[in-house]
Amino acid sequence: MESALRLRGVTKTFGTTRAVDHLDLDVPRGATYGFIGPSGAGKTTCIRMIMSILFPDSGELSVLGRSSALEAKDRIGYLPEERGVYRKMRVGDFLTYIAQLKGVPEQDASARASRLLGQLALGDVLRKRCEDMSKGMLQRVQFVAAIINEPELLILDEPFSGLDPVSVRLLKQIIADEHRRGATILFSTHVMAHAEELCQHIVMIHQGRKVLDEPMAGLRRQYDTRVIRFEPLDAAASLSPLRLLPGVEAIDTTDEGCTIRLSEGRDPADAMRLIAATIAPARVELARVRLEDVFIRLVTDGGRADEAEKALRANLQGLATEGMAV
Amino acid sequence: MKKIGLIAQREFLATVANRGFVIGLLIMPAIIAVAAFIGPRLMNASSPQVRGTVAVVDRTGRVAPELTEVLTPAAIEARRRENARRAMAQAAPGAGQAVTDQNLQRLGGTVPDLRLVERPDGSDIEREKDFLIPKEQAERGLALIVIRADAVARAAGQSEYGGYDLYVSPTLDDATESVIHDGVRQALVNARLAAGNLDREVVEATMRVSRPQSVIVTAAGEQQTQRGLTRALPFILGILMFIGVMIGGQTLMTSTIEEKSSRVVEVLLATVSPFELMAGKLLGQLAVGLLAMAIYVGMGLFVLYSFAMLGLIDPMLVLYLVVFFLITYLVFGALMTAIGASVSQMADAQSLMGPVMMLLVLPYILSPMIGRAPNSTFSVAMSFLPPFNTFVMMSRLASDSPPPAWQVWLTVGIGLAAAYAAVWFAGKVFKIGLLMHGKPPNFATLIRWARAA
Repeated sequence: MESALRLRGVTKTFGTTRAVDHLDLDVPRGATYGFIGPSGAGKTTCIRMIMSILFPDSGELSVLGRSSALEAKDRIGYLPEERGVYRKMRVGDFLTYIAQLKGVPEQDASARASRLLGQLALGDVLRKRCEDMSKGMLQRVQFVAAIINEPELLILDEPFSGLDPVSVRLLKQIIADEHRRGATILFSTHVMAHAEELCQHIVMIHQGRKVLDEPMAGLRRQYDTRVIRFEPLDAAASLSPLRLLPGVEAIDTTDEGCTIRLSEGRDPADAMRLIAATIAPARVELARVRLEDVFIRLVTDGGRADEAEKALRANLQGLATEGMAV
Repeated sequence: MKKIGLIAQREFLATVANRGFVIGLLIMPAIIAVAAFIGPRLMNASSPQVRGTVAVVDRTGRVAPELTEVLTPAAIEARRRENARRAMAQAAPGAGQAVTDQNLQRLGGTVPDLRLVERPDGSDIEREKDFLIPKEQAERGLALIVIRADAVARAAGQSEYGGYDLYVSPTLDDATESVIHDGVRQALVNARLAAGNLDREVVEATMRVSRPQSVIVTAAGEQQTQRGLTRALPFILGILMFIGVMIGGQTLMTSTIEEKSSRVVEVLLATVSPFELMAGKLLGQLAVGLLAMAIYVGMGLFVLYSFAMLGLIDPMLVLYLVVFFLITYLVFGALMTAIGASVSQMADAQSLMGPVMMLLVLPYILSPMIGRAPNSTFSVAMSFLPPFNTFVMMSRLASDSPPPAWQVWLTVGIGLAAAYAAVWFAGKVFKIGLLMHGKPPNFATLIRWARAA
């Protein structure tokens, strides 16, 4: 089957900064792709080129089988990173207008607008003016505008930034619905946790270059770190006996208990049984791979200074740009 | 194409539905309407019919009967109508026939009701004057006319006839005084004609040489000249075009800045190409400009109609106005859209707007020079130089010696080329500028963008 999206050697330079550097990408139809990287990595530039809002200096791209998104705009849904509405327009009119621009007949447009608003818990805002809405509500309205044409390809640039947890949950649900409907979804985020939850496939981008392009499942296997998280039943219990167990390389104490790193070749099932037998556990589990760790490992090559790594890590956890609320 | 239509429709409705726009647009016509409609009525109402006595001391003994005849209300009105018709015909050829009694009535108010009283020839003038000083009496003494003895028959050895003296009450208004002057003049002429056994008709016909409209003969054909009130037309048409372009252009700029600063532009660009967006906006505001012009032109024609001067307007001028408006609008509208797209907020637009406003106002400053010499080398050269060409050509077309047809077509051709260039330039700047935020660019930057895009 042809790809929904195909990029070959796409490059874009602004002045002296190379925002996107020889990027290759294939997104098959029906897939959910996460486009991740820290702020400033080139994600938005790349998405704008896919949307034909910016044009690459060199390289080729095809969108839904066309050589440019301009020829397929009605079949694409796009949520830009910078949200915007006509302040004086009513929500219903705005959505109908955008839908009509995307080729949806007028009568379908308003019906779809009210149905989708209802799904996002905004059933009563059709007649409200955009300027009278809260920021979080407007973000949801924007999201409705992106999917109102039932797109084949849905591109979401940082869809969760600035949203409250309830809205994030509603949005995730609708993204899942869109995926079930058959839409190909590409979304960018710098918050790894969102990508981990939603994506089948991860593309990591750093300083304009692609550093990883793997299915989520493979990623888990490949980067299995053999770390066990342990929480004792008795919070006051001493954890030192664990150090003596065979195959245990290191122990880091955490708030709830500790993480135990096993030596190479040690069977984790065996180790977990031993640990449980040594100290009564409240919880003992194999730590799953975290995209954040994968990313850091990829871009630092182990030789990066601690400070830089910390900054990068904060950004990837959504701390740098969104404060401690997330 | 359908998308362009949708954008144009939204742009138009969003602008027209704005309360400020409606008020701004209607305030001018409202003032004109008040002036055209209520004005004449108010002036009529404020001057009630003048009634009073006019005394005559007729030293010739031959003028008083004539005077009684020419100062009846019916005669006054007939004279006034004739005067107005003559004045109109001179000021605005072709409009004379449109003068109706009703219109005159509205303009001049009611004619005075004068009662003529003849005093004996030998009365003492000084005593008679007393009657002009306002007293508490039933009827006002308005004027005292003293016809000199040699007013009808020349005194021996004199080449000129004698005249009359007029003494008036301090309360007499100018209009009534001139009615009296006109009356005496006609009475004297009638009496003199009768005394000389001359036929009034023959004498008047002898004196009358009608003045034709001069005809300019050019290689392309003949054109009739227009004079008088038509001199104001170039100026008025220039203002109309200026208003239409400013309304459309200004809104284009502010709405583009608004779309950019509210970031809605990226949503739009995901659905339409930058050029479709710009074309839609240009069309939408064009409709707004045309609406404004239609309202103003309509009001203007209505005012002319209500003053019975509709005949002044050459229908071709309205057509030219529309064509030149389209061209001028596209040139300036495109430039202002480009400015709107290149800045992030209104304040930044000011420095870029300055030169554009200069270009728009300059033809105005020049308009007296062009009106005075519509076919001078300067005027001809300016009418081929965009973006002034449309304004200058409009002035020349409305002047009393219109340019040859080939010059008009050349101006239209150059104008269309300029409009194309402006839209092309704006399209490039629009495409790049829309997603640019930060430091406002200058014109050099805009030109660099246009070349890069």
